[in-house]
Amino acid sequence: MLGFLEKVADYTKEAVSAAKYLVDGLGVTFDHMRRRPVTVQYPYEKLIPSERYRGRIHYEFDKCIACEVCVRVCPINLPVVDWVMNKETKKKELRNYSIDFGACIFCGNCVEYCPTNCLSMTEEYELASFDRHSLNYDNVALGRLPTSVTSDPSVRPLRELAYLPEGIMDPHELPANQKRAGKLPTQIIKELQADKSQEEDNNNSSNIVPNKLNSTN
Amino acid sequence: MNIAYSTELICFLILSAVIVSGSLAVVLLENIVYSAFLLGGVFMAVAGLYLLLNASFVAAAQILVYVGAVNVLILFAIMLVNKKEKLKPIKGLKTRKLISGGVCGGLLILLLRVSITTKWNLPGPTSIGEEATERIGEHLFTDYLLPFELASILLLMAMIGAIVLARRDISISTGDINDFKNKKSLINKKIPLLSENSLK
Amino acid sequence: MNSGIDLEMSFTQGVQNLGLSHELAHLLWIPLPMLLVLVSAVIGVLVTVWLERKISAAAQQRIGPEYAGALGILQPMADGLKLLVKEDIIPARADSVLFTVGPILVLVPVILSWLIVPFGQNLLISNVGIGIFLWIALSSIQPIGLLMSGYSSNNKYSLLGGLRAAAQSISYEIPLALAVLAIVMMSNSLSTVDIVEQQNTAGFLSWNIWRQPVGFVIFWICALAECERLPFDLPEAEEELVAGYQTEYAGMKFALFYLAGYINLVLSALLVSVLYLGGWGFPISIDWFSSLIGLSIDNPLVQIIAASIGIVMTILKAYLLVFLAILLRWTTPRVRIDQLLDLGWKFLLPISLVNLLVTASLKLAFPITFGG
Ligand code: SF4
Ligand code: SF4
Repeated sequence: MLGFLEKVADYTKEAVSAAKYLVDGLGVTFDHMRRRPVTVQYPYEKLIPSERYRGRIHYEFDKCIACEVCVRVCPINLPVVDWVMNKETKKKELRNYSIDFGACIFCGNCVEYCPTNCLSMTEEYELASFDRHSLNYDNVALGRLPTSVTSDPSVRPLRELAYLPEGIMDPHELPANQKRAGKLPTQIIKELQADKSQEEDNNNSSNIVPNKLNSTN
Repeated sequence: MNIAYSTELICFLILSAVIVSGSLAVVLLENIVYSAFLLGGVFMAVAGLYLLLNASFVAAAQILVYVGAVNVLILFAIMLVNKKEKLKPIKGLKTRKLISGGVCGGLLILLLRVSITTKWNLPGPTSIGEEATERIGEHLFTDYLLPFELASILLLMAMIGAIVLARRDISISTGDINDFKNKKSLINKKIPLLSENSLK
Repeated sequence: MNSGIDLEMSFTQGVQNLGLSHELAHLLWIPLPMLLVLVSAVIGVLVTVWLERKISAAAQQRIGPEYAGALGILQPMADGLKLLVKEDIIPARADSVLFTVGPILVLVPVILSWLIVPFGQNLLISNVGIGIFLWIALSSIQPIGLLMSGYSSNNKYSLLGGLRAAAQSISYEIPLALAVLAIVMMSNSLSTVDIVEQQNTAGFLSWNIWRQPVGFVIFWICALAECERLPFDLPEAEEELVAGYQTEYAGMKFALFYLAGYINLVLSALLVSVLYLGGWGFPISIDWFSSLIGLSIDNPLVQIIAASIGIVMTILKAYLLVFLAILLRWTTPRVRIDQLLDLGWKFLLPISLVNLLVTASLKLAFPITFGG
């Protein structure tokens, strides 16, 4: 009898705690309702892609030396370099170059390894088309520059989360001069360099031996 | 003949047509699922008849019990074992059908005779309408207490029987299943759906 | 209490004044309530759909529908229109008759149940004596429609969804009915009007929720289960069953299921407010209020104000509950089928039986507060 009562008591306890958790959960959901939406109304508002955004590849025909390094480093040997050997000048003559963005994974290897820097990654990501074959960009299409989000008059550019000031989640109605949290990579490099030169100055003035060690390093 | 009476008559005729044709279809249709659904329709039409008699409580109870419980259970059973296979041809099906048809016909004639020869006390007692609920409760707990209790005992027995039939004979101790240290315990404990004992 | 405004009487009298017989006037009256029910149910659904989308969006820090009308208020209409003009597909190997009848059988009982929802003393379609029992009986027809559409779609997922829906609504109907029974016992009547009146003696202090807190919780859980709302939306669990019994449906037939689901939600919320939250009753008793101003309760002005307050109160309470249901939808995860049946049979059923027993004994002990 006592065992049964104990069971009933345990059961009731469990039920009560379950109800408590349910109410807690409801509280969380309710609390969320007063937070402002962070929606980016896409075709009218767009996020500004970050500096290192890996979008559609830009290609400069005139710089390319048809070395095919990009093909070799590509995980799927994607770029098509169409060249012929000019017997007289003994030089490669580039005829066509194309990348199929239906297959490209935007890893950026080709951009990294191109010896002449004729490949670069843009901030364009709106590549949708009605036919997957039109995703195969030739050198003319690859040479086009994308419209930047910030210069498009029909689009309201919004900053990405990482570029917002500390503690702010909503990019709307943000004054343009508000700085992002943390430092920019360029700033960090500059500071590092300043530190270094200062250190060197210190070292120079105090001691010569460590300086020599430094230089051997 | 006023409007109320004629609408009542029309409703009665429609409902009875639905009941008669529906029940015939329940018996005669080949597809058992159709029969089951039509049975639900017949039950609902019967509830409609009760409504015509101003017995709304009985009508609602009819729908709740027969449509909501009995018919749904029948459908459940049919759908869970719904195998599309041809039934084995039974020997002498025709004579069987003839015999059962004859019995049913005889029953019908008997009932008709009774209903024609009996002197119905027309018009019957006036319906009490909304008070019926209370009256039913009163009767159930006074004059008809014994049958009421007997019926409930019968239902209890049926319930216990169902539990006994559905119960597995082996009991799985939950402690073993949650025994995470000894991971094999779950694999070793193959749980048969029906233990050997219950099949004997 | 007063008799308030009697719509039917005034209508029939108005028509009779035009020179028609009493019976003809009554015949003319019959289709009107049905029309009224249809219109109010559909409007209720439109509002609920809009609320659902907006509140869901707010809970997830989205915006929700925005461009169709101000604040997207016409979005449900646009949805409905889209479903209306979509192609009506019947799968090739489906059973076309049952496939068509199924959604109708799901929708009609729900709409019929609106007959018993009172918005005021006489502001209901029909004050049937069996009131709330009619609703329970009608809602038991629904599983048949679900089974029918599940079976006739000729699709495994549909069949499983239909079976789940039927199992769910059968098992939750019992605690639901028992919770209602406790209320009925206290008010000595099945009629929804009597149930509300019995609660409106002393403002919000006399609401049933104080006398039946457990019953309230049971009823609300069961109502959510009957509506297949989120913690219990197993019959259409997307991750397992595609869309359950609705998988093969498109166009208007799908819209019927959609409508039935939302009408059922609004109806359940209305019934909770009728059964537990005092229905059309204002938190402060109107009698007391009118005597404060010094107007008699039979004054036509007071009557009209009281009636409109009644309607507003009923709808307000119902929509508060709808809001709670939407919030619950985004808070609770879906239960498993065995958890669902466990909750129904091992938790709610015994609790509601105990609740019933306790109510009966309290009624014997304190006949004044618990209805003599
Ligand atoms: S790696 Fe650069 S230069 Fe070489 S083929 Fe590719 S694009 Fe041209
Ligand atoms: S981005 Fe990567 S996948 Fe695309 S072409 Fe360059 S190397 Fe190939």
